[in-house]
Amino acid sequence: MNLPSIRAAIGETISVTTTINGASRRFDVEPRRSLADVIRDEAGLTGTHLGCEHGVCGACTVLLDGEPVRSCLMLAVQADGTEITTIEGLANADGSLHPIQQGMYDAMSFQCAFCSPGFLMSAVALLRDNPNPSTNEIREELSGNLCRCTGYQSIVEGVETAVRIMGAQQ
Amino acid sequence: MTPGYETGPTSDRQTSGLGFVGQRVKRVEDERFLIGKGNFVADLTPDGVHHAAFLRSPFAHARILSIDVTAAAALPGVTRVFTAAELNALTNPIPPFFMADGVYTPLYSCMSEDKVRHMGDPVALVLAESRYVAEDALELIEVDYEDLQPTATIDQGLDTSREQLWELADGNVLADTSFEFGDVDKTFADADRIITRTFECPRQTNQPMETRGCIVLVDPDSGHLELHNTSQAPHFLKWAIAALLVNDGAVRNLSTFLRNKERRKAFSSASKEFLKTNIDKLKSSDPAGQKAQLSKDKSMLRHQARMAMGLLAAEDYPTVKAGDIGGAFGSKGSVAREDIAVAAAAKATGLSVKWIEDRVENLLDGGQAREERFTVSMAVDEDGTFRGLKVDAVLDQGAYPAFPISGVATLLFWKVYMPGPYDFGAFQLNGKIVATNKGKVVPYRGPWANETFMRERMIDVVAAELGMDPGELRAKNVLREETMPAALLTGPTLDETMSVAKTLDHALSLIDNDQLARDKAAARERGHRLGLGIASYHEAAPGPPNFFESIQPGSDMFLYEDGRAEIQADGRIVMYTSQSPHGQSHQTTYKQVAADEFGVSMDDVEIVWGDTDRTQFSFLGTGGSRGGPLGAGVMRVTARELRRQVAAVAADMIEASPDDIEIVDGNIHVAGVPSRGIGYRAVAAKVARETGIADGPVFAESMKYEGVGNGGWSTATHVAWVDIDLETGMVEIPRYLVVEDCGPIINPGIVDGQVRGGVAQGIGAVFYERHHYDDDANLQSGTYMDYLIPTSMEIPDIEIEHLETLTAGENDARGVGEGGMIGAPAALTNAVSDALGVQVLEQYLPPHRLLELAGVIER
Repeated sequence: MNLPSIRAAIGETISVTTTINGASRRFDVEPRRSLADVIRDEAGLTGTHLGCEHGVCGACTVLLDGEPVRSCLMLAVQADGTEITTIEGLANADGSLHPIQQGMYDAMSFQCAFCSPGFLMSAVALLRDNPNPSTNEIREELSGNLCRCTGYQSIVEGVETAVRIMGAQQ
Repeated sequence: MTPGYETGPTSDRQTSGLGFVGQRVKRVEDERFLIGKGNFVADLTPDGVHHAAFLRSPFAHARILSIDVTAAAALPGVTRVFTAAELNALTNPIPPFFMADGVYTPLYSCMSEDKVRHMGDPVALVLAESRYVAEDALELIEVDYEDLQPTATIDQGLDTSREQLWELADGNVLADTSFEFGDVDKTFADADRIITRTFECPRQTNQPMETRGCIVLVDPDSGHLELHNTSQAPHFLKWAIAALLVNDGAVRNLSTFLRNKERRKAFSSASKEFLKTNIDKLKSSDPAGQKAQLSKDKSMLRHQARMAMGLLAAEDYPTVKAGDIGGAFGSKGSVAREDIAVAAAAKATGLSVKWIEDRVENLLDGGQAREERFTVSMAVDEDGTFRGLKVDAVLDQGAYPAFPISGVATLLFWKVYMPGPYDFGAFQLNGKIVATNKGKVVPYRGPWANETFMRERMIDVVAAELGMDPGELRAKNVLREETMPAALLTGPTLDETMSVAKTLDHALSLIDNDQLARDKAAARERGHRLGLGIASYHEAAPGPPNFFESIQPGSDMFLYEDGRAEIQADGRIVMYTSQSPHGQSHQTTYKQVAADEFGVSMDDVEIVWGDTDRTQFSFLGTGGSRGGPLGAGVMRVTARELRRQVAAVAADMIEASPDDIEIVDGNIHVAGVPSRGIGYRAVAAKVARETGIADGPVFAESMKYEGVGNGGWSTATHVAWVDIDLETGMVEIPRYLVVEDCGPIINPGIVDGQVRGGVAQGIGAVFYERHHYDDDANLQSGTYMDYLIPTSMEIPDIEIEHLETLTAGENDARGVGEGGMIGAPAALTNAVSDALGVQVLEQYLPPHRLLELAGVIER
């Protein structure tokens, strides 16, 4: 790139309106800013993590209109008019945990937990579409998220525990 | 809690009434992580902070002819551009840390100004209002490079005719060492057979999910620096930053120093104190390493005086804070060149600076490991008796030695570990380190681990040569309690914690050989091959008192762990650790330990870590599987001492004898009379009244702890079952068993997690991960599309058996963080060898290689 083309890219902003964890938010962002950066830096929701910024590790996974997406691979401007859920939006207003959070807590699923936001959001989407997944289905669904600490067994157990909690709630 | 669902023991609720230690108590850390409220370094963006980005070399080996940053500096939003030369002038070169006979450690600066030595070598630093603009500016920096011949492999590194990375080295060989124990020549001459093989281990990288990062805040009035960093060793980083930033304040040289009476006095009393404490250890230290270094390069002496200028007064030291850290596996124990550069830039500009490494940078130089070659000769008798071991080892360190733990430390660990838990009569190691144009080697979860791979793989080779069963051959030669010598051949002492034989016997008892034969036949029917592999090992976790002495005389001055316990005026219990947790759940385990000592709930105990203003000095921080034995150990002894002091005051208050005091659920009372008890708050309030302390500790105790016993060994045997599809080369692991003995377990949920995570990295190392450079030293695995971290589809459930061997008297927990990774590559490659009926001589076995070994495709 040369200086004029870089200068042209800087400074111009576009207005983006989204609903994040139930609250409507408006941001003026450069077109090139990633959704992940806007969630973390503009909305201040740092529970969504950046592990690789090239779409492989899945730590940045959020729900966009209910579907799990890599927020590092999306531009914030593409999220205009959408509804976003991050890890901060999982627990109930009274502070009680979402079944997936309780399941991961009870199964002692994580260690450093840097990857945890992505696993939680992927698991929420899985259990919404398939409330009684087999172990293989859980493993397959979570294979889009990398964890370097645990060897995954405890995370799979966390999802299975969440399934039991949701069963007990019904 | 949900009706009809039972959650189990938590930090405020135990289920057995027997205390928290030993229970699977849920993690306190998860209370913040699972709601997205962790405190990772990237989460902090102080007002007005400037964002840093590094320009990095696209070449493996090149001379820098010129650099022009004019256009970059003119870009709107750019605050400052530093060339390498500018930052190097503000910093001192990184000195050698581990020195040993036959070793030369090149000195290097935080940035590369004349020459780049690997892809990713930093040559300029931009500060800007955002990371986006900083990276824009990188594109506007023009650097003229002149290509130099790259060195990409161990063979090229040994070839002395190639272009040198470091002009004072012998070619690219930085270390050429030799160690011998017992009479090797005689042992080899007497043995029935000598069997020799060469094993190759390719490069790996640690790859924690969080990259490295550093935020430096500058106090506008005093200039004091506060670093928020992903460091495993915050105190070492604090020391290094003070030493490596040129102190351009009042003290510029020795004569001004000598004229400054206050500094002179402070320095003199600190040195006297250090000498008094460590005189015996200093006397025993081996001067050969320093001699070897100075024979190549005397510049260390020149820099030492300049470094010392930064270390003279308390105000010269920065504060380092490490919050939550997203994994490290050894890679965050080193002081990053980037940490030094960012701190120097902040200090020079007076601006606060944030640098968060991106994944590509991390793959380029965030920590690499284990590229090593071993030529092993084992002397054995026909009946399978192990006689002697000779190893020629070469370690490919990459371009720059990591600081403080370089490849030299690995050579020294090999010297002690290589013969393993077996009864060899003689052992020789010839160890070399070569420099290559690749990212730097750092410790990675059991940094010496390839000695276990090569030894345990070699034992299976020997078993095949002798026509023996690999399990039986191990059982015949493993050190057994009944006949155990007082010390290993290589020096460290032994006690019953050297329990490898017990783990091996138990593992063998859990293998059903008839079932294995049936499974092998069934696999063959499906066009698959199934095999079983065993590996046994021990590790010093923390090891016996003379372990570090065996590694290098004088180095055991770093063995102990500091801890502090306080009871505040309002009755709160606060424990301080010098550990820097990054996934090991220290907060939970240390609360368990302290709560039991104090007789309170875990929620009544606060654990403080990661802040160098509040915790005591430690060179090592978290690493070396020390957090359980020494870290928890010092929590235990410090809490116990403080409980004794509290009980004495409480006894006086309730008119009882201190010996009769019992504390349950925070109620301090005479045993059997709980209704007349008082709380910590009341005892603290009384002392606060009497001493006039309104805010702060009313009881406080700092202690050092070196562990108990003459062993401190953590041991294990791994057994892997591997199923290989001969059509695709894909591997499944139908069963993986770990029988481990880390002594008394504080929290089984956490220990199991450590074991499984280690095994997962071992599975990655063998079947998926290779940090591949081409013949010109260009990195080929620069993204996660190319460096394959195994997912939930590749890692099986791991079966774990705990033996928990205890010695007489009190026991420490023994470390368990590294072991999983140490055992797995050997067990897995042994299983592949068994499955395919060939002796595998390399550690990395992707599908195409398995099909080659199986004879399905040609190489």
